[in-house]
Amino acid sequence: MRSMTENAKGQTEVDQFLISRIDSVPHLEALLLVWRCRPKTWTVNELAERLYVKSESARSIVADLVRQELIAVVDGRPNEYGYAPKSERQDVLMKDLEEAYRRELIRISNLIHSKAPASVREFARAFRFIKQRQ
Amino acid sequence: MNLSVITYTVGALTCLACAVLLLRGYVRVKQQLLLWSGLCFVVLAISNSLIVVDLVIVPQVNLYLARLGTAAVAMALLLYGLIWESN
Amino acid sequence: MVQGFLLGVISASALTAGVFFLKFWRATRDSFFLAFAAAFIIEGLNRAAILLLARPSEGNAAIYLVRLLSYLLILAAILKKNFDRNG
Repeated sequence: MRSMTENAKGQTEVDQFLISRIDSVPHLEALLLVWRCRPKTWTVNELAERLYVKSESARSIVADLVRQELIAVVDGRPNEYGYAPKSERQDVLMKDLEEAYRRELIRISNLIHSKAPASVREFARAFRFIKQRQ
Repeated sequence: MNLSVITYTVGALTCLACAVLLLRGYVRVKQQLLLWSGLCFVVLAISNSLIVVDLVIVPQVNLYLARLGTAAVAMALLLYGLIWESN
Repeated sequence: MVQGFLLGVISASALTAGVFFLKFWRATRDSFFLAFAAAFIIEGLNRAAILLLARPSEGNAAIYLVRLLSYLLILAAILKKNFDRNG
């Protein structure tokens, strides 16, 4: 069982993750879907269907998640994508994220919606030439 | 060295750096705002370079209108990007 | 007259761009955008000030020092973005 302080720390890590790496609610739901059903792999169209979005949207969501190194193309099957943990810490984060989204759907949706548009954030990001730890 | 030449050389290099970073970013994430602002800084770099050319290389020719014209084009590109793409 | 018109276009565009960057600063709380806003607003006002000069194409120490300042603001913002937390 996790202590109160461990839970609080997990929450801010989740918020940080959402602020810095998740562009929209469909992005979050796509990621959680891939996480929940792992090790299942998905095509863009399968994801579009499950998420109730158009395939172009799903395609760009997948591209963003791949760029964030949260999901990856499956070896040998270039049209399929699966969960790609970079570390054990990411697995813990995903668990916290899933639980947080289940418990606090409204707060998290508001958090994501209150971010500046992706174009503005990418403008600032473009000027980073030093590799930073994500 | 002439302070004005230094100023506009710094200006041209700064604009070039911004252009490179923004256009590189555009290639990576395909956000239109980065394309238009990147192009703006390319043209601003040209504008700054024209000032140096005007002052140092061809002082007998007046490039003032060309300098102003390029700066105006640059700003139009930036405004286009900001208005349409910053949502 | 054309020169005056172009200066007006450049000045108004720069000021407008500055206001956009202020909006981005408010949305992101990233001082990076504040620096860009300041740079463009300063440059917009600077361009307007050129209209007060008797012989604008010959430039003026104050004009290009202010322009240098605005470019240094942008450079400083870029450096801060890259080296701030990494020391």
